Amino acid sequence: MQIEILNLDKHYGAYHALRDVTVQIPKGQFVALVGPSGCGKSTLLRSIAGLETITSGTLKIEGEIVNDLPPRKRDVAMVFQSYALYPHMSVAENMTYSLRIQGVSKADALKRAREVAEVTGLTDLLDRRPRDLSGGQRQRVAMGRAIVREPKAFLFDEPLSNLDAALRVHMRTEVRALHDRLGATSVYVTHDQIEAMTMADHVVVMRQGVIEQQGAPMELYDRPANKFVAGFIGSPAMNFVDGKIGEDGHSVTLALPNTPVIPLSRKAEAGRNVTVGMRPEHLSLDANDGQIEVAIRSVESTGSMAYYTTRTDPELMLVEQGRNRFRTGDTARLRIAPENVQLFDRKTDIAI
Amino acid sequence: MKRLFISISDGKGFDILLVGLAMFFLLALAGIPLLYNVLMSFQEVDMFTLGSFIRPWAGLDNYRYIFAQPEFWLVMKNTALFVFCSMAGQFVLGFGLAIFFQQNFWGASTIRGLFLVSWVMPGLVVGGIWSFILAGDYGVLNAILEGLGIIDEPVFWKSDPDLAIWAVIIANIWLGLAFNMLLLSVGLAAIPRDLYEAAELDGATAWQRFRTITLPMMRSTIGAVLALGLIGTLQQFDLFPAMTEGGPANTSSVTQYWAWQMSFKQYDFARGATISMLMLVFVFMAAIVYVRSTRGEVRG
Ligand SMILES: Nc1ncnc2c1ncn2[C@@H]1O[C@H](COP(=O)(O)OP(=O)(O)OP(=O)(O)O)[C@@H](O)[C@H]1O
Ligand SMILES: [Mg+2]
Repeated sequence: MQIEILNLDKHYGAYHALRDVTVQIPKGQFVALVGPSGCGKSTLLRSIAGLETITSGTLKIEGEIVNDLPPRKRDVAMVFQSYALYPHMSVAENMTYSLRIQGVSKADALKRAREVAEVTGLTDLLDRRPRDLSGGQRQRVAMGRAIVREPKAFLFDEPLSNLDAALRVHMRTEVRALHDRLGATSVYVTHDQIEAMTMADHVVVMRQGVIEQQGAPMELYDRPANKFVAGFIGSPAMNFVDGKIGEDGHSVTLALPNTPVIPLSRKAEAGRNVTVGMRPEHLSLDANDGQIEVAIRSVESTGSMAYYTTRTDPELMLVEQGRNRFRTGDTARLRIAPENVQLFDRKTDIAI
Repeated sequence: MKRLFISISDGKGFDILLVGLAMFFLLALAGIPLLYNVLMSFQEVDMFTLGSFIRPWAGLDNYRYIFAQPEFWLVMKNTALFVFCSMAGQFVLGFGLAIFFQQNFWGASTIRGLFLVSWVMPGLVVGGIWSFILAGDYGVLNAILEGLGIIDEPVFWKSDPDLAIWAVIIANIWLGLAFNMLLLSVGLAAIPRDLYEAAELDGATAWQRFRTITLPMMRSTIGAVLALGLIGTLQQFDLFPAMTEGGPANTSSVTQYWAWQMSFKQYDFARGATISMLMLVFVFMAAIVYVRSTRGEVRG
């Protein structure tokens, strides 16, 4: 294990910011920490870096307990959301700062910076000051500065959130490619679940200081442990409808107009109150075997995808490939794919 | 007329108006008196020609006279000592305190605010208080030093020729400390925290962070503090009459006090003006430091 976080707790005074957090990160893995704002992602990342002291628990890097080591002795590199470039130093000086601190000769440090600049596309910018760079270029410098050090782990705190949408999408693949090329171990904080899903090998979903679920991206997508994870992962978000398990335990009745009954592939406790989760792409319109008649409330089309909401309570969101076949106000038959519905206990929100 | 009005309300005219006002006051209240001072240093001025503008030309006579005075080099040495040590003391202690209060412990900002008190106090009062503290026979400092066993017999801070200038320097350091600390605190607070975090992760020790982040980021603040500190020290006059009166035997006299003695004690205005011209050299140095430090400013 490259990084081991065991039963970590963090208090800010009376506020319990992290509760019993355990994450194991093997060498070479790309781990994403996701969750809503204020859930403690940055706190966890900063704890790994040593910028926050942990209240209890164990933190190991390459097998060594680092609980009491100051940040400078942990040999991890961090890319800040603000980039935190040294404004009074040129790009080259920024990149060689840590090497110079370690006493590497100027010439050697510069040689190393040039190699990294080659990889990150900064070669022509080495003499510039950070303020003379665009946001995307600054982001690269921040990454380059981390890469130069060949640290034991890379820590990213929402590094792409200050970039425009197109560049962000581009940088996702670039960051991941760099990670693979360097054989690095990375922990990546983001509030954007798409970023987490597309980049990471292992996704950790957090809420209010607690890990709700962790695992491979598709595992979280297909088998969310609870309603929160189900709603957080996936875009557009999963639809939730109240339901009740039928007498036979092999069907669920939905609280929608005309109370459709969906067959279940596995048995559930008869008569139990549940929340039924249905992903937008598992609903379709106007199939022959549609269960209910719905009116279309709104249509959004991107050309390649059509997004509909229905005039039902609760409103359902569904997605189809291609151009929109319906307009606002149309009615259509809605089909719910029975094999893909997810059941959650109504009270505890835990997946059944 | 209308065009003029529009220009003044939102065009170039407004800029010119603002610059013009500043320039007018600068000329009227600083420029002209300064030139008059220069002029006077080349004239013969006595009680009878005091009111007139055109007076007998003296050439460099006033300067020769001043240079020939027996106390001239003593006063110059004292001035250099006073300026350098006051500024060094104010700056180093002020920086230390600024960093100390930057640590954000409980009550830090309140205590820092209390330092303003020393700033509010008139120099004469401060001089009076330090006179008491440093008094040879009943002074508090001597009592403490004796109590700690550091000295055996009282030190006559104000009347010992070797120490008198130091007594004033100590008082002046105290007086300028708050100003230095507050200005440097502002500079420190303007450095983003994450730079320190980045440097810490990059392996820098506290000292290395201070040297490679704090100092370069504070360049313009430090320049301003030093320049203003130099001006403040050259302006420092009140402490001298309150503490040593330049004595004993001019061993604690500095140019500004000497110039005052010449002009307003001996009513030799021409030579008083001449001495103050010498101070211009020091002020000029301050201006250069200030301009240079703000020129290459880098922030974020
Ligand atoms: N120094 C502090 N003192 C007290 N509470 C803090 C402190 N730092 C963070 N917190 C609290 O800890 C919680 C977690 O903060 P954290 O910055 O880790 O959130 P986050 O998940 O990174 O959120 P975001 O996505 O908005 O960056 C928040 O509720 C925050 O208010
Ligand atoms: Mg954060």
